[in-house]
Amino acid sequence: MPDLPPQQDDPIVSRPLNGLILISAFLLLLTVAWSLYSEFFGLRPWRSYQNRFRSVYATYLQKQIAQRRAAEQTLYATPDYQKLEAAVKTAGNAALPADRQISEQIDLLDRQRAILTPPFQDGRGRVGALTYQLEQIPERDKSAKASKLKQLNDAKAVTYALNWPTANGTKLRQFNYDDLNNTFTAIMTEKAALVSKRGDQDKSAKDAQAALDTFVKERLPGLGSTDLQGLLNSVSGMDIKLKQINVNPPGTLINYVGGVGLVDRCQSCHVATDPLLVPAVMTLTRADLGVAQDNDAPFTSHPDPDLLKFHPQEKFGCSPCHGGNGRALDTVERAHGRYEHWLWPLYYAANYDAGCQQCHAADAITEHAPVLNRGKELFREKGCIGCHKFQGFDNQDDLLTATRQQITLLESDRKSDEDEIPRLNKLGDQASDNTVANNFYQQAQNLTVTIASMDSQEEQLELKSHDLLQEIKKVGPDLKEVRMKIHKEWIPYWLEHTHEWRPTTKMPQFRLQPDEVQAIAAFIWQSALTGPALPKQTPGNAMHGKELLESRGCLGCHSVGEGSNTMGGTFAANLSRVGEKDNYDYLVRWVHNPRERTRPYSPFEKRDLGPEDYAKHGMPFVFDLAHSRSPNDGHELVVQQPTVMPSLRLSIEDSRDIASYLIALKRPDAHFDPADFMDDPKLKDKGKALVQFYGCAGCHEIAGLEDEGRVGTELTNEGSKPIERLDFALFTEDAKRGIEPDGKKTTRGPWYDLKGFFEHKLANPAVYDIGKYKPNPLDRLRMPRPNVNGDDIDAITTMLLGSTDASLPPDYMYKPADDRAGIQKGWWIVTKYNCMGCHQIDIGQKSVLMGLPMYQGEDKINLPPVLTSEGARVNPEWLKNFLANPALSTTDLNRDGVRSYLQVRMPTFFFSDDEIRTLVLFFEALSHQAEPFIPQKVEPLSTTEAGMARALFTSTAAPCLKCHATGEPAHDKNATAPNFLLAKDRLRPAWTGRWITNPQLIIPGTAMPSGLFRRENDHWVFSGPIPENMRTYSGDHADLLVRYMFTLTPEEQRLLLGRTTTTTARGN
Amino acid sequence: MNKSLWYFAAAVTLAAAMMSCGGKGSQPSETAAPAANTAGKPVDSATAGTVTGSIKLDGTPPKPRNINMAAEPNCAKAHTTPVQTEDVVPGDGGTLQNVIVYLKGDFSQYSFPPATSPVTIDQKGCQYHPHVLALETGEPLSVVNSDQTTHNIHPVPKDNREWNESQPPGAQPIMQTFARPEVAIPVKCNVHPWMKAYIGVFNNPYFEVTGKDGSFTIKNVPPGTYTVTAWHEAYGTSDQMVTIGPSESKSVTITFKATSAASD
Repeated sequence: MPDLPPQQDDPIVSRPLNGLILISAFLLLLTVAWSLYSEFFGLRPWRSYQNRFRSVYATYLQKQIAQRRAAEQTLYATPDYQKLEAAVKTAGNAALPADRQISEQIDLLDRQRAILTPPFQDGRGRVGALTYQLEQIPERDKSAKASKLKQLNDAKAVTYALNWPTANGTKLRQFNYDDLNNTFTAIMTEKAALVSKRGDQDKSAKDAQAALDTFVKERLPGLGSTDLQGLLNSVSGMDIKLKQINVNPPGTLINYVGGVGLVDRCQSCHVATDPLLVPAVMTLTRADLGVAQDNDAPFTSHPDPDLLKFHPQEKFGCSPCHGGNGRALDTVERAHGRYEHWLWPLYYAANYDAGCQQCHAADAITEHAPVLNRGKELFREKGCIGCHKFQGFDNQDDLLTATRQQITLLESDRKSDEDEIPRLNKLGDQASDNTVANNFYQQAQNLTVTIASMDSQEEQLELKSHDLLQEIKKVGPDLKEVRMKIHKEWIPYWLEHTHEWRPTTKMPQFRLQPDEVQAIAAFIWQSALTGPALPKQTPGNAMHGKELLESRGCLGCHSVGEGSNTMGGTFAANLSRVGEKDNYDYLVRWVHNPRERTRPYSPFEKRDLGPEDYAKHGMPFVFDLAHSRSPNDGHELVVQQPTVMPSLRLSIEDSRDIASYLIALKRPDAHFDPADFMDDPKLKDKGKALVQFYGCAGCHEIAGLEDEGRVGTELTNEGSKPIERLDFALFTEDAKRGIEPDGKKTTRGPWYDLKGFFEHKLANPAVYDIGKYKPNPLDRLRMPRPNVNGDDIDAITTMLLGSTDASLPPDYMYKPADDRAGIQKGWWIVTKYNCMGCHQIDIGQKSVLMGLPMYQGEDKINLPPVLTSEGARVNPEWLKNFLANPALSTTDLNRDGVRSYLQVRMPTFFFSDDEIRTLVLFFEALSHQAEPFIPQKVEPLSTTEAGMARALFTSTAAPCLKCHATGEPAHDKNATAPNFLLAKDRLRPAWTGRWITNPQLIIPGTAMPSGLFRRENDHWVFSGPIPENMRTYSGDHADLLVRYMFTLTPEEQRLLLGRTTTTTARGN
Repeated sequence: MNKSLWYFAAAVTLAAAMMSCGGKGSQPSETAAPAANTAGKPVDSATAGTVTGSIKLDGTPPKPRNINMAAEPNCAKAHTTPVQTEDVVPGDGGTLQNVIVYLKGDFSQYSFPPATSPVTIDQKGCQYHPHVLALETGEPLSVVNSDQTTHNIHPVPKDNREWNESQPPGAQPIMQTFARPEVAIPVKCNVHPWMKAYIGVFNNPYFEVTGKDGSFTIKNVPPGTYTVTAWHEAYGTSDQMVTIGPSESKSVTITFKATSAASD
């Protein structure tokens, strides 16, 4: 027996582990508890959100149900409701006996069919088979055919005895095959007739129910108590579970994670955005739920349910529009993607519209996205586009280059085709046989036709480049004209004190050293044109000028007055200090026609032409859109100033009056130091280099720099730029810690993101130079400070954040192929020329003029026309002509072609043909008109009808000619509506019919009254006393008048005018 | 754990306090509600007082101008003497007609019986009769055309709904109401540009339009302090404070200065 080791040496005894094991067990238990706790409360914060939402929403619904029930009870107690309800009952009861009878009949038919069907199917099968067999026997086998025929007839003759159900019991009835067939068809026909009869029977009951429903809906809109109760039930029974939107379009990168589609779990916390819980008809806010003050209660429903109608959640989810990490659920920070490992953080509230830009980059105006629209407007108006290329924005210069290249390419193709033709013909001549020869001749012929087609293509390209040359506009004025226009001393002052001198200017403030200012001013001055000299103008009547400025429509774009006295639009310059800097003679020419240049510019020769060039060819020094070719080489010239400002077609006297008013607008203490250095030729070269460096030619036309490109970064995809490529310079650490450049703490925390970069850069473009040692001014960041406020910065930031390199599938991009493409394209022109300064174009949009004091209350009548239905109203052929020449006359230009009675006047914009086409298509598309246009036929009037229309037109009860212009000056002085003679060419008959019957529907508040016609037996009848000769007319009175208007001739109108005062209609 | 419980309790208390504050603040102010005559108690006629007075015109009123109605022979016929503009119509003894006088004050605690009898405006001889009128919100306005020509009646309100209806000779009266108080809505006829009327709309019965003697009487006024406001189409508004004790009657005179502004 071996020696047992002493007990105390046994490790179990000497080194027991139970303590450790106990501790481990405890630890294990704790871990399990911890993991369970974490499972239910820690890792799934959405659980507590859902629990809380369930209780607050249920409370809210209970309150709503109680209120709604009370309202419903009150309504049910009203006599009106009870009357309607009684009607429903009566109608239901009235239909009941007949209904029951029909149901019984149908029931009987069903029973008969049930009995009939088995033998009928059996017989039909047999007969069908025999018929088939009979057809299979060949014609010649007469005997076989005859015997089969007999079999068939026998089968048809077989009779079936059926227990036939009748209205009272059953009776035995015999059927052969034909009986079965006929009875079956008869049963089916009869049943269909009965079902339709039952529907007619129920109609009055259904109508009564519909009337009751409408009555309730009108008085108590929204969800009824039953619907609310249903919601309450579904909320109370709601499972606490992860809510996920799952979209898997094939092969896409949506939701930013490689190729597996969209997974958004946002609704797990944002519970109220689930339409099953909160239907689109109700919008839920935190205040509704009584948690308004709680920042950790994400229980708001989507505030714009309309938006979700065309961006359904099941396709778009949440994160494609809002940003954020749609899959993350563990913390708010991670779900919102606001951490360093997620590239697409949730957009902040000020920049929500950035989401729209991702797919709507091709739109100038995106509905539901006002901030984004403002951003785009600013990007153009403040001249950002002068330095930064942005695809879709005014890129006529790029297009022009591309078009010219296309022309060159086409010409070389044409040349090689031309060379090919004789070669092919020669091959044909020498061919060995006729087939081969003809083949060659055919090829040669095809080439000649191809050349003909190339010629028409080239012609279109030439026209396009002509258009593009005309469409290129600059944000700032033409600096070639400064010697004509500006007081010399003002220029260096302006360069240094841009925003101070005119606080609303578009021009950014450049960071310039005094010597840079001098050099730039000197270059601008010395490179500018010195002549031919402007004609000397006599002073005008400034008081009249003020009146004209305030009434002709100038204030739709320009403003006058400073500070709180400012009145007018922000699209163009504030004119309150024009007198301090401008020359009177130039101002007169500018007001008269702002597009007029001192000299035309030849892009081919790269210089401005003068009278001497024209004289060499014996031509007068005349250049305008009709004389736009160079006398030297025939190339297209730039014949207009590159401004969007139109010509108001004012007389030279009126232009002098306005200029005289403007030239008097100045501060009494205006003074600028003499600037003799501007004539120092030594400064010119330095100035030119600086002007090139700072990119002045992006916004201004400058002599010698006409072909300069943009100096800034392209921003088309700026929102996709990796953060590492943005240089926060010395503020990188501060940005990450949430400290502003001035040392204060930010309100939103760290700003080391695209939003932070853009906002700081826009507020102060020099910010990322702070603290750096840059002794040479040219090494500094050269972006000037844009003249933008906080809201403007938000708007531009929003636009840039959304300008991403498409991370969404191509079919998410808004590039409509139908007529909406016309709308999309048109907005760029509408915003380019600020049409909305004067007109209402979009439903609900307000023009600048509508907000001015002189167009309030009853003076609204003096506003330019509302264009919300323009495409449906006017004939597009007419609109083309009108847009090209709003005077509708080649001789009498100092007037408006349609509304000569208005003080405000549609100016001439000198649109290119392409712009006119785009605008016409835009208005047509907005009004859902088919294109190309085919005019609606207007039935000519018979002599009797013409007589009736004439009587109606001139009856005292139809005062058409009291307001509408007639062309007689005495009458037209007080006219407030267009001349009827324009109708034929200008209007569309269908719209005109809708207009005269209810104009208040189309343009609420218009001077034209509604109620001139009333509806009677499906047609319109004049509501006043009807003229004698029309009493028996059964046609449509409105239609008669429209047809009359569309056939009106000047002679007929004169006849009418003679008659207005004499004809009287007797009352009926 | 205890600490977080404390935080929680504190947060709950704070939130509750904030919510109750918010609740008070968000109660709709009753003066802003357009249909104010639905809630409240009726005015006690035993203690109610009266505001009387007259509107004076200081200075020489601008001369009325003749209206040329040649464009509408039907109306020109209806007048034997030249028709004159009505923008300033003096009353007897240096008073002023066509002034809307009304009380501004807090009537939110009272309810007023709805005015149901229609107020009529007649188009006669291409003029509105009356030229200035006032009514309560919801009170029916009956537009009558007594002329042998078609008019259109076109109120151009700031705060009410705009409408523009034509009315041929012999047509039924047009019935309309105004839902919101407004002083005063210009009314015009686009066919006859010289035609002009003004309609004042109030959500209480304390208003009157001065007539030939330039006087006004506003009855059944609950005791309190009010602003008596006079509105005139050419001279604008003029205010005066008045305090009415129980069953008290007070007289107020408001004077407009004849200025050149009226004769534009």
